[in-house]
Amino acid sequence: MAPISSFIERPRAFCALGGAVMTVTALPGAVPILHSALGCGGSIYYNQYGSTGYLGAGFCGGMSVPSSNVGEQEIVFGGVDRLDEQVRNTLKIVDGDLYVIVTGCTTDMIGDDIQSVVRDYADQAPIIGVETGGFRGDGYKGYDLVLQGLFRHYVERQDATDPLSINLWGIVPGQDVFWRGNLHNLKLSLEKLGLRVNTFFTDGATLDDLRQAGRAALNVVVSPRYGVTAAGVFEEVHGTPYLTTALPIGPSAMARFLREVSARLGLDAARVDAVVAAEERDYYFFIDRLADTYNDLDLQRYAVVVGDANYATALTRFLANDLGWLPSLTVITDDLYEDEQAHYHEELAALTSGVTPRLVFETDASEINRHFAKMWPRNRGQKFYHAFSPAFVVGSHLEREFAKNIGAAHLSVTYPIGNRVVIDRAYAGYHGALTLIEDLFGVIVAER
Amino acid sequence: MSYIEAKVPPKREQRLGACNVYGGDGCGLKKSFGGCCLQQAKRGFGQGSICQLLPGTAIVNTISDAVVIVHGAIGCGGPGHTQNAGVRGTQMARGSTNPRGTLWLSTNLNERDVITGGEEKLEEAIRQADRRYRPSAIIVISSCVPGIIGDDIDAVTSRLQPEVAARLLPIHCEGFKTKIMATAYDAIYHSVARNLLDPEAETVSVIVDDIEVARERIRRSKLVNLLNVSSMGSVDEKELTRLLNGLGLEVQIFPCAAHPDDFRKVTEAALSISTCPTHDDYFVKHLQQQYGVPFVQRFMPIGIENTNQWLRAVAACFNLESIAEEIIARETAELRDALASLTPAFVGKKAMISAGEVRALSLGNLLQELGMEIVAVRPYHWDEFGETALDQLVANQVREPIINVATVHPYESVNLIGKTTPDIYFGHPSDSVWAAKTGIPTIPVYHGGYTYVGYAGAFEIARRAWRQLANPTFNHRLKQHVRQPYQAQWLAEHAFHYITEGDADGPY
Repeated sequence: MAPISSFIERPRAFCALGGAVMTVTALPGAVPILHSALGCGGSIYYNQYGSTGYLGAGFCGGMSVPSSNVGEQEIVFGGVDRLDEQVRNTLKIVDGDLYVIVTGCTTDMIGDDIQSVVRDYADQAPIIGVETGGFRGDGYKGYDLVLQGLFRHYVERQDATDPLSINLWGIVPGQDVFWRGNLHNLKLSLEKLGLRVNTFFTDGATLDDLRQAGRAALNVVVSPRYGVTAAGVFEEVHGTPYLTTALPIGPSAMARFLREVSARLGLDAARVDAVVAAEERDYYFFIDRLADTYNDLDLQRYAVVVGDANYATALTRFLANDLGWLPSLTVITDDLYEDEQAHYHEELAALTSGVTPRLVFETDASEINRHFAKMWPRNRGQKFYHAFSPAFVVGSHLEREFAKNIGAAHLSVTYPIGNRVVIDRAYAGYHGALTLIEDLFGVIVAER
Repeated sequence: MSYIEAKVPPKREQRLGACNVYGGDGCGLKKSFGGCCLQQAKRGFGQGSICQLLPGTAIVNTISDAVVIVHGAIGCGGPGHTQNAGVRGTQMARGSTNPRGTLWLSTNLNERDVITGGEEKLEEAIRQADRRYRPSAIIVISSCVPGIIGDDIDAVTSRLQPEVAARLLPIHCEGFKTKIMATAYDAIYHSVARNLLDPEAETVSVIVDDIEVARERIRRSKLVNLLNVSSMGSVDEKELTRLLNGLGLEVQIFPCAAHPDDFRKVTEAALSISTCPTHDDYFVKHLQQQYGVPFVQRFMPIGIENTNQWLRAVAACFNLESIAEEIIARETAELRDALASLTPAFVGKKAMISAGEVRALSLGNLLQELGMEIVAVRPYHWDEFGETALDQLVANQVREPIINVATVHPYESVNLIGKTTPDIYFGHPSDSVWAAKTGIPTIPVYHGGYTYVGYAGAFEIARRAWRQLANPTFNHRLKQHVRQPYQAQWLAEHAFHYITEGDADGPY
């Protein structure tokens, strides 16, 4: 059973159903069928719209998602008949390649047997069902639940594996506003190791690729949390081992990442060394001509980093280990158990730059100010005050108010982002880090 | 017993016979509405829609100096992230240089809570919100889960009210309880009426200043409540205030963006003026019955003639008809001259509209005035308040527009677009993109940054339509490159094929 939890201020996540819808609609040609109250579809879209860098509905998302729209009558008498009718008519109206029934709070609470409906239509179309009622968890959980469903019921069993093929996940569509670009960048670098990389969602991936995902020799989950349970299910069903690792941003993290993956696959160490060397050459080819500005304008900054379990430590690591900044406060906004927190303390204790940011777990934007005040003493009228300046807050659009209060610059990198439009921009990988530098320094010079 | 005495207001289906499933013509709609068969109508295929919680949070998130607690699962308040943009805009318009935006909490009901109940968690959220943010009001708005597990948010708020400094407002917006999202307006006004209208303890003056008393009485005799809607931005309020000021009236605006302490002033006004008939009837009738404040609510001031009528109706309450006629003559003459260069672009152009009931129909009236033909209107629901604008819409046109009552449901609009080939689509955010993918230009039916109402709104909408028609390339090219989610056989089918037990007459 879930822990006794508290309220959350402006939660930085969809509900499980929302995450499930974001995940299904990110798959090419896939159609979610909501078995939920009538407003879930609309609320998810109105949430998505202004929090994910204006990610649109796509093929059959937004207000086009088929939805059983159950009301009082179904909640009293059961909603399976309504779902049956909805699925029957969806197959007549909507031209999908895969249908995924996802449930909301109401239908999960009354215990509708959606799998019986799935069985009834299984010979007519590719269809699976996943219970994703919002009370089961957040959008990250919904992502994991959908992946579990796909791995169990859609990905085909394979007799043989391809030793150079991997699946890559852990970057959650929507919750990671830069999901498309990030998956793309990581795939490109991994391909340089000679690997075939299946990201499910991007780079022309098809549902066939997903169905054949059991051929992979390894599943790489670039997250300490998201999609990890699904990786266990994949292993249980298809026998494929998995590696969980941090979201890599910039050359230091990427070198570690590429070496980790290639070691698990038993690839030639010389090859990975060559790839890392070439990628770093490329990265510093660009950095070379930024160095003047970095030094002449003194672009080193104190930093506060606010983000989810993927981004908070990943961004902190890059800022400290590659960019030479002083990240001083790192806020992880996931609602974590205490025993889950140790991992992140270890990660940040191991920064090669020797910088040791204070790490806090805080879901509520308005409380970040309090954590900061505890960490950095206020000016009590001193003439010579060692201020937290110049400073930068790298977080979500919710951190604008805090950044302004402490006189820091601000960039929205983590969910929710309603003050930027994001298409294929990426911050992961080598080139993602260059883009991040462009965006950070772009804010600093914007008024020049 | 008045509705206000009950904890929960009736849903719109019960109170007004409202429905949101229909396809046919205007005459058929009115006929079946009278005969009640509309209420039995159902869709055999549904799409993600809008429940009362969405307009509910859209309104309460604007209330200034308040914290909203969305009592439910973690996702229910999520649209608050998007509503943030408009709220920030309002805060900046009022002088904030570092606006906080929306401030809402989720009680984050989880698997444990659905078994053990969520009241304790709500209590804790209220206490913390009071201590942490020191707001004037804490608005508790409940979603589906508390409705099913039986949390009593009214009991919780009355139990905690003595403990906290903020005024507590429980609001019931359980999504599964009504198909009509407009029920949210009643739910919010219901709680406002029960919790924010009690008069301030009378200050007893030692010395009565007769002149001051008389001055205040005169002021109140020209004081009006302008009832805004969350889909209206400050530019719209400015336009309506300008017109009412022209009549010599002082304007106070409720409910969106108002301060909790100011709501009691609503009872001091000489008149309540609705900007959207289906938005306000619950509240304005209560103000009339309980506080003797009369109201006008027949017209939405979108469209030239609708604005004229809206202004006339207000003026009539103050015997200011002649001043209203002067304003109307001056404004319409100026507007006519200004529109002359734009309207040639609209000759022979066909439009389709999808929006909240009265807005959709009133906008149809305006587009007809601009010279367009309305091929179909898709009001989000139907009740008696749409009739005036519907009659006008039908009377103004040789060919009858199709009427499709639906809360979004783009599969029907895309089907209708294929058959009626509109040149331009006016839709809700979230709705227009499906028209866009058919290749036609669109204009959002609301947007806080643009003017829609009054004479300024008529001109602005004309300007925007002109601009969209001048270069619809983006959506033309979009159509060529994106995959539609619908089967070809559906697009060939009768648009209202999946509407059952109701009236699905008409050529499509």
